[in-house]
Amino acid sequence: MNNLRLLLPETVLATLALVIAFADLVVPAKRARVLYHLAWLSAAGVLAWIAFTMGDASTHGVGTLWSVDPFSQFFKLTTLLTCVLCLLLGLDYAELPENQAGTFSALMLLSTAGLMYLVSATDLLLIFVALELVSISSFILAGFERGNPKSNEGSMKYFLFGAFSSAVMVFGISLYFGATGTTHLAASAAAPGPMLILGLVLILLGFGFKASLAPMHFWVPDAYEGAPTPVTTFLSVAPKLATFAALARVFGAIFPLQAYDLTLLFSIMAALTMTIGNFTAMFQTDVKRLLAYSSIAQAGYLLIGLAVGTPLGREGVMLYSFVYVAMNVGAFAVVQAVGSAKGSYDLSAFDGLCKRRLGLSLSLMFCLLSLAGIPPLAGFMGKLYIFSAAVQTGQWWLAVVGVLNSVVSVYYYFAIAHRMFFKEPSDDAAIPVGAYIYGGVAVAVVGVLLFGVNPEPLIAGVRASTQILP
Amino acid sequence: MNAPLTLAHYMTVAGLLFLIGVFGALTRRNIIGILMSIELMFNAANINLAAFDRFLHPEGVTGQALALFVMTVAAAEIVVGLALLLAIYRGTDTVYAEDFNLLRG
Repeated sequence: MNNLRLLLPETVLATLALVIAFADLVVPAKRARVLYHLAWLSAAGVLAWIAFTMGDASTHGVGTLWSVDPFSQFFKLTTLLTCVLCLLLGLDYAELPENQAGTFSALMLLSTAGLMYLVSATDLLLIFVALELVSISSFILAGFERGNPKSNEGSMKYFLFGAFSSAVMVFGISLYFGATGTTHLAASAAAPGPMLILGLVLILLGFGFKASLAPMHFWVPDAYEGAPTPVTTFLSVAPKLATFAALARVFGAIFPLQAYDLTLLFSIMAALTMTIGNFTAMFQTDVKRLLAYSSIAQAGYLLIGLAVGTPLGREGVMLYSFVYVAMNVGAFAVVQAVGSAKGSYDLSAFDGLCKRRLGLSLSLMFCLLSLAGIPPLAGFMGKLYIFSAAVQTGQWWLAVVGVLNSVVSVYYYFAIAHRMFFKEPSDDAAIPVGAYIYGGVAVAVVGVLLFGVNPEPLIAGVRASTQILP
Repeated sequence: MNAPLTLAHYMTVAGLLFLIGVFGALTRRNIIGILMSIELMFNAANINLAAFDRFLHPEGVTGQALALFVMTVAAAEIVVGLALLLAIYRGTDTVYAEDFNLLRG
């Protein structure tokens, strides 16, 4: 085991998660909330640790099964940021059983630690174990509202698809092992042949499940609708972005798409994912389901950046990922506040929201417009980067499909805005908003506006962290 | 009838087992049946790993070690699946996939 010290942050996080899980046994039920605070503080601590040591070259290096480089550190930051925000949202989510706060936050931290291992992994063994750590914790998290039949059903469907796709991925790994004699991901070990290509494609399908890419996206709406809203927020952001980081490492740096004739496959998957996501989202009446399809579509935009396969495309993926954290967490935070107060996530719950909670409705509108890619919000910068990368390599049709899809998406994002601003409220029930939701929404909206108006610092940060060590 | 077993035999068995698993997972109505089909798919990969290790790359133990990892992780995954199924069964008294239809649209 070379350079195990490089993985110290995620190991510390996993240890803290276990400490919190065991503390759940001794902390009395009415004080269990303290474990939530402990959990988000641990995640925030590790976040600060990685952020402050990011530029330090002594923290980078190549290990036996992993390599820690600026690229992986960047995606660890997005993962940890999402985890902190989602734990804060969990503090204001009344439907979670109070006495199981320790289990909930420990699973959240374990799944985050799994994602942090995943973005650094350069060996299929570590990739497999990390993905399973994430999957198994997320299955439990998705079914955490045990009294709610929808939550149970959503997590069951999530589990069936998840287990199926990890079996497919393991079969791909076995073929890769047969073709190369090792599980280490290195092009030098690989003689291109049908077995290697089939193995890589099956591994891609396994990743596609986590990132909700088109042929493997069926679980997304059900799992997202059923899961507790803070968990939905987490699932729609963190695993998706970390999987894209792993895809960029495997299919961008180690096995360049162009060398294995996979560019067309990636382009078709990207176009399919966007189109299916956007055109199905138009017909949804449940807002969590609508945002689930919208997050499928967003995965399609991100995949364009990978299909392009140039440094500019990779920068676009990183930029869009960071912005995506802010806009999606912001949207889900408002949805959670409204949905919890109304007891329903139907679109009609948003009727006339601006007359009662102007701040919430403006925040949600900013996040939705950013998701649709309207300038001058941050989502526009991300899309601009990705589409111009596609144009630069001559993949015009991909950029055109992307732009057309963004236009379609404006329709259903504006449908929510229309309900908030131009309809009369259906009842006078108060919409209480917890302090932690306010915090989450504020961070998200500031991010969306700031990086939209002044993207230079973010672009500089992204440029400084594109390096992938072999 | 004493021709030695070659890699092709093992790969054929593993490939067939994998396809049977895929077919079962996609067509079974009973959740327990789906779980069993998924186990078949994992085991197909294990046969592959052991056979590749023995015939193509006998110098190391990577394949066997990986097969052990796959078994352990698959067991952990199925345990969670059965627990989720039990939670659903308490509420609905059914293990058939088509009865789980609260979420749609």
